[in-house]
Amino acid sequence: MFLAIKEMLHEKLRYSLIVALIFLVSYLLIILTGLATGLANLNKAAINEWDASSIVLNSDSEGRLQQSFLSQDEVASLPNNGTRISQYSTLVKSENGLKENTQLVGLDSKSFIFKKLKITSGSKNIRNNAGVVSDKFKSDGFKIGDHLLVANSSLRIKITGFTPRATLSALPVVYISPDTIQPLNKGVTNAVVFKNKLKNSKIPKGTNQLSISSFIKKLPGYSAQQLTFDFMIAFLYIIILIVISIFLYILTVQKLPNLGVLKAQGVSTQYLILSTLFQSFIISVIGVIIAIILGEITAITLPSEVPIVIDKSNIIVTGIGIIIMSLLGALIPIRQIAKVDPYKIIGG
Amino acid sequence: MSNLIFESVTKVFGEGSSKYVALENINFKAESGQLILVVGPSGSGKTTFLTIAGGLQTPTEGDVKINDSTIKSLSEKQQTKLRLEKIGFVLQSYNLVPFLTVEEQFKFVDKLKNQNLTEQKMHELLSDLGLLELLKKYPNQLSGGQKQRVAIARALYTDPDYILADEPTAALDTDRSMKVIELLRDLAHKRNKIIIVVTHDLRLKDMADKVYQIIDGKMTILEK
Ligand SMILES: Nc1ncnc2c1ncn2[C@@H]1O[C@H](COP(=O)(O)OP(=O)(O)OP(=O)(O)O)[C@@H](O)[C@H]1O
Ligand SMILES: [Mg+2]
Repeated sequence: MFLAIKEMLHEKLRYSLIVALIFLVSYLLIILTGLATGLANLNKAAINEWDASSIVLNSDSEGRLQQSFLSQDEVASLPNNGTRISQYSTLVKSENGLKENTQLVGLDSKSFIFKKLKITSGSKNIRNNAGVVSDKFKSDGFKIGDHLLVANSSLRIKITGFTPRATLSALPVVYISPDTIQPLNKGVTNAVVFKNKLKNSKIPKGTNQLSISSFIKKLPGYSAQQLTFDFMIAFLYIIILIVISIFLYILTVQKLPNLGVLKAQGVSTQYLILSTLFQSFIISVIGVIIAIILGEITAITLPSEVPIVIDKSNIIVTGIGIIIMSLLGALIPIRQIAKVDPYKIIGG
Repeated sequence: MSNLIFESVTKVFGEGSSKYVALENINFKAESGQLILVVGPSGSGKTTFLTIAGGLQTPTEGDVKINDSTIKSLSEKQQTKLRLEKIGFVLQSYNLVPFLTVEEQFKFVDKLKNQNLTEQKMHELLSDLGLLELLKKYPNQLSGGQKQRVAIARALYTDPDYILADEPTAALDTDRSMKVIELLRDLAHKRNKIIIVVTHDLRLKDMADKVYQIIDGKMTILEK
């Protein structure tokens, strides 16, 4: 790849410009996918922590936890290895005035979900109006032993432990016992969550089993949000393809005479094509690497309110995506190289 | 023994009213050890002749044979290989790769051919052509004549059996032109090459073994 490298080194400005362009678009892509992932996590992180595979809700609830009410008979006729979930969204305040919008989730301390919960500090205890709360509370200044005063109620929940990645529909979760949540929601069970999928015969009339992934898709606003991101990301891929194609096209047109002469001298078309692909590959790899580094730095420096998550799989997918786009972008120039007729160029 | 043969070669450009016969029924034969000059006015068909000889264009009628094999019966790959290994082109324009220094132009050829020629050989060639001080320069830092000499050196560098040169002395003064032609003649005579030089410089006539003239696409041999 002697020719390819020498050319890039000699034409530093041109090739730096393409690298810069690829970098900018890749950076944007990484940030956007990071935001998409971050926002998705905010919506569903708590559910992921449950590590469940299905959820049974009222058939009329359209998959919405808040609109789903299961009767005692329905709950009783479901297998008893499920976790009964009661949910209540509200505002809580600490005694020293800190406020937080939260999702209160009532569940039994013997349920598989509660057993699964990890604790970053404190203890895992929800007896007697105690609560295990999202560690978002910790970063917002709440401490173990603080009391949460629930708005429009006399309920006081004592923080006993913090649990990581506990957000549901973008709000931090407070896990409490069924007894504690009872006065707020009159003891209604909203859903029952199962570790394994149930056979259809076990699901009582009037209820509906959803897989956890389709339940997540039905979280309020979740799908619309992700779709918006997916569109933006897809458009960016198309833009990067067009930009790289145009750039490489112009570069190639400028050097057609040289390519013709090289062919006349016995340089194979294959060599010239590989050389162009190699250049495409190199510039996209450099652009992507700079974008990844800057993306990581951005993610670290952004205030923690910005829900950006740049994980390995995002980076790998984006990186490979861009490299593929730039190789595709080399297709038009490759056609030109293949078509160049040495004689036409030499003329004279 | 190498040879290059044209059998009733005709080249026609265009069709209908824009039809133009650039070469008409050319029979031509060159054998190893010959320096052949092709002269003729501008637009007479010299470059067309040379590019057909090197397989860059195919004749409309007739055959071109190199070492007894017909060029047009070779696959594109084989033709590329033939050009790389057997033919050295010195073209009228755009000879050098703009982003390679003079030295790198030669290294590139080495890499392509997987040959490992000694520095010494390159230095010999370059000093014969008065180019040694130019090794680190890029083509755009060279004069027209210097470029032409580098192109000649590069064509000779791979030690091809055939050298096809289109106006290689156009940008050179008389002294340098003579030197270049002498170098080419020596190669033909001592190393048994076939060297065809297109030129309009009639002063070079005496140096050649044979001189052909092309006028309006028709080729005749000139008695010396
Ligand atoms: N691709 C082409 N299409 C149509 N006509 C062409 C083409 N190439 C060459 N010709 C014509 O063929 C004739 C011979 O061209 P050629 O390039 O061989 O001339 P030449 O003898 O090399 O001239 P010069 O000394 O100016 O370089 C010219 O009249 C030219 O216009
Ligand atoms: Mg010409």
